[in-house]
Amino acid sequence: MTELSRRALKQRKYVYTAIVLILFFILYIGFFRIQVSGAEHYYEMSLDNSIRQLKEYPVRGTIRDINGRILVDNRPSFIVSVIPRQLSPETLQILAGIIADDPESIREKIKGKYSFRPVIVKRDLDYPTVVMLEERRLDLPGVLLEVESKRFYADDVNSPHLFGYVGEVSQNEAESRLEVEPGEMIGKSGIELKYDSNLRGTKGLRFVRVDAEGRDLGIFDAERNINAVPGMDLYLTLDFNFQQFAESLMVDKRGAIIALDARNGGILTFVSKPDYDPRLLTGKISADVWNSLQSDTSKPLYNRIIQSRYPPGSTFKLVAVIAALQEKIITPAWKSYCPGYFRLGRKTIHCWNAKGHGEINLLQAIKGSCNVYFYKLGLEIGLETWAEYSKKMLFGESTGIDLPNESDGLVPTVAYFNRVYGPNGWTKGNLANLAIGQGELLTTPLQMAQFAMILANNGVVHRPHIAAYMYDRRTSRKNEFPVHTDYVEGISEDVYDLVRTGMRMVIDGGTGWRGSVPGVKVAGKTGTAQNPHGDDHAWFIAFAPYENPTIAIAVIIENGGGGGAVAAPIAEQCMEYYFYGKILPRYAPKKDTLKVADSLESIISIDLNTIEPIQISVPDTL
Amino acid sequence: MFIKYDIITAAVIISLIAIGTVAIFSATYVADIDSGNYFVRQILWATTGLVLMFFISMVPMRLINRFGYWLYGFSIFLLLLVLLFGKVGQGAERWLVVGPLHIQPSELSKLATVLAVSKYLSDKYADVNQLKYFSISVLLILIPFLLIARQPDLGTALVFLALSIPLLYWAGLNWFAIFTILTPVLTMILSFNFWTFLLLMISITLVLVFSRRKPAVLVAVFLLNIVVGIMTPYLWNQLRPYQQKRILTFVNPEQDPKGAGYQIIQSQVAIGSGGVWGKGYLNGSQTHLRFLPAQHTDFIFSVIGEEFGFTGISIVLLLFLILILRLIHIASLIREQFESMTIIGIVTIITFHVLVNIGMTIGMAPVTGLPLPFLSYGGSSLVANLLMMGIVLNISRNKIIR
Repeated sequence: MTELSRRALKQRKYVYTAIVLILFFILYIGFFRIQVSGAEHYYEMSLDNSIRQLKEYPVRGTIRDINGRILVDNRPSFIVSVIPRQLSPETLQILAGIIADDPESIREKIKGKYSFRPVIVKRDLDYPTVVMLEERRLDLPGVLLEVESKRFYADDVNSPHLFGYVGEVSQNEAESRLEVEPGEMIGKSGIELKYDSNLRGTKGLRFVRVDAEGRDLGIFDAERNINAVPGMDLYLTLDFNFQQFAESLMVDKRGAIIALDARNGGILTFVSKPDYDPRLLTGKISADVWNSLQSDTSKPLYNRIIQSRYPPGSTFKLVAVIAALQEKIITPAWKSYCPGYFRLGRKTIHCWNAKGHGEINLLQAIKGSCNVYFYKLGLEIGLETWAEYSKKMLFGESTGIDLPNESDGLVPTVAYFNRVYGPNGWTKGNLANLAIGQGELLTTPLQMAQFAMILANNGVVHRPHIAAYMYDRRTSRKNEFPVHTDYVEGISEDVYDLVRTGMRMVIDGGTGWRGSVPGVKVAGKTGTAQNPHGDDHAWFIAFAPYENPTIAIAVIIENGGGGGAVAAPIAEQCMEYYFYGKILPRYAPKKDTLKVADSLESIISIDLNTIEPIQISVPDTL
Repeated sequence: MFIKYDIITAAVIISLIAIGTVAIFSATYVADIDSGNYFVRQILWATTGLVLMFFISMVPMRLINRFGYWLYGFSIFLLLLVLLFGKVGQGAERWLVVGPLHIQPSELSKLATVLAVSKYLSDKYADVNQLKYFSISVLLILIPFLLIARQPDLGTALVFLALSIPLLYWAGLNWFAIFTILTPVLTMILSFNFWTFLLLMISITLVLVFSRRKPAVLVAVFLLNIVVGIMTPYLWNQLRPYQQKRILTFVNPEQDPKGAGYQIIQSQVAIGSGGVWGKGYLNGSQTHLRFLPAQHTDFIFSVIGEEFGFTGISIVLLLFLILILRLIHIASLIREQFESMTIIGIVTIITFHVLVNIGMTIGMAPVTGLPLPFLSYGGSSLVANLLMMGIVLNISRNKIIR
């Protein structure tokens, strides 16, 4: 047992006493300032009994197309909230009666919330309910009727996958994000989610004085108030007319159209079908609607452009061409004979053309999309090189588009096959399949459009994006989003030139002839992807004009059949609209549905025998 | 036997409890929500606590000394149980439920930690200025700190940090060591602003230059501060927003991006409107319209401020001041290190609670949920405080050489 020295103890006692005295003195001054100097001020405040803290929700920014046309904006909507502390059981009963809700569910909502802050009980009230609440206001202390805004979509605006929707903050989001709290409305998907912080604005706060009955007595202290800052307006890269036209082509189809501006990666049109009416998910979302959307087997909630992964089919043959030429595995003159089928070990694989393409070179193989040629080419290239070039073309990774939940797609590699099938569990057959865009390979439509852009630009790739700029209404300033531009290394111009020549031939008399736009040189590639879910998916990718590309497009029609027959005409119409702003009149002979010829005959019946043949005089010199 | 009792301490404690129960009665006077009888329950707890206090003051001090480490081990065990099976109360797991009782083990661990550190450093060969003894003492304090911070209950956890320096200084820790501990903490706080950081580093350098320590030590302390100062903002930015949010709400639960804390405004209005003489007992309008949050527990002092005014506040503050200075005085009269340090530990705990709780009611301290000793409603805290007072009375009864 040690003992402390008396001197040290005494000295330390003085130090401690001094510190305690100083701290108490500071505290005492604080009370003096409030209770003696500031007593009058605070007494007046206390007469008003209570200060209520009201949130001021900012107006969410609008979403507009490239021309400034409003696609998504806001409309007022009534909400009712309660202050738990002031809510008596009787009031609760009355309130529940008016808004046709269960008292228990209201109690559930206010459980665990701050008892002195308003808690939103119901949103998007209909007009009769609002009137009833207003009428019985005096019977409802602690019940607040407030206005907030809800999303409103202009006529004909669809594209739910693009815009996404706005919804109430979930418990999870409230915990993981610094600036939001339960009851607030935030973007949940699509653009609304990606640009939520810009669109949402900053909420404000007002301190108002209220009496014990909850009546508003005015501002408490204007200096403490914080004004709400409205959200910024978002301008998109797409043109709504073009978007609407593209949507009209897909009305009864499943699939996607995605067109990019080849010069900057801006999205020109973005159609994913089937979809749903975005208006279904504004205001309060009914559980029935949500469940039926979710259980729908055609998956309308799915954004096919960035979330669905498809085998790319023959469009992917172009990757094999690039790999083979760049690695100098073959020259464009390399020839191969296609008898209509190909034997690999004990398996026989058929070319789509059962009669066979005969002896063809590379360009002919692209033009005719010959499977046998590419089976053989794939075996020459080898899996490792093939996978390397697939990744160079940015497959197997997300494009980085400014929309959430993008899928990576899948490029199988040696490591992948070893992991899935075991080192000896896979054969060359797998590789041959990959070379024609079948097998484990999976791509998103956006990746395909990006691929078309890379080919159009000799390897220059602009990151696909939907947002062009934000407009801040308060400062009248435009904040452009920078375009990320990258370059695919290690592929020479000659290779691109040859691939492009091949793609041009596909349109000019090849499998993609239906993709030809009058007056514009288009280059493209068709694809018909076999899949385990039914009929083949029809693919078509293209860019145009051939010499100086401005648009890159990818079209997929799920279970649509042949790419050349089904997808190419849709891409053609899109490009035609893009270049001409309309569909050109066609001078094709039409069926005589009104039977004009017959009626003519009946009106003027001419007896052919009565007409004399015209005399023709032939010069003698002949 | 009773003559030897420290009458002043006992009288102050009983006065404070009396004032507390009276205020609790007022605070819950129109209790329409949870209309349990707080007043009666608090009196029951006070009686239990006073009996316990008397009992503890009779136990031979040797026994308490001997069980010091066991008690510490037991309290750590209970804290672990809370982490595993704790009952969630206001967002944090703080309670253990045993039958009808809700026990808050962090209350016990405060006392247990004081006893353990005091016992450890009062060993014959112990010297707090040696690295080994110093680090183990700090470790003894850090373990419960981390366990409680994990609950999370920052207020109570901070009590342990506040405990460390007064306790170790009393045991003879030299000022340079204290300087070395305190500066990195200061640096951490001030490093977010370049100028405050620069100013701090200049003062640190000056102190170091005049401290006449070995150059190697000086360089090490200086470098430590520089590294902490540079790393803190960097690490902070590395954290993801939700992690930052956790820490911010941890430091100040009322931190509210939308504006000033409602509770603080209400409490200030209540206290300020009390004026010099107060509105009179049971006449506090803020209190009775229930605009004050947690008015019978954390904000009991606001009730006193409203109903008894500046006069009432002065009396309560004076009582606390007497109690605290009295305990420091007693500690300085006792030469046995274990007993002396124990009292210092206890008085630090009480002082920290008083300053933070009362400071909070007028917005001078963050809202951390620390109760006001002897006044706030709540069994765990009242009994634990009386237990500590029992030990103080025990020591003063037996050890003061008059």
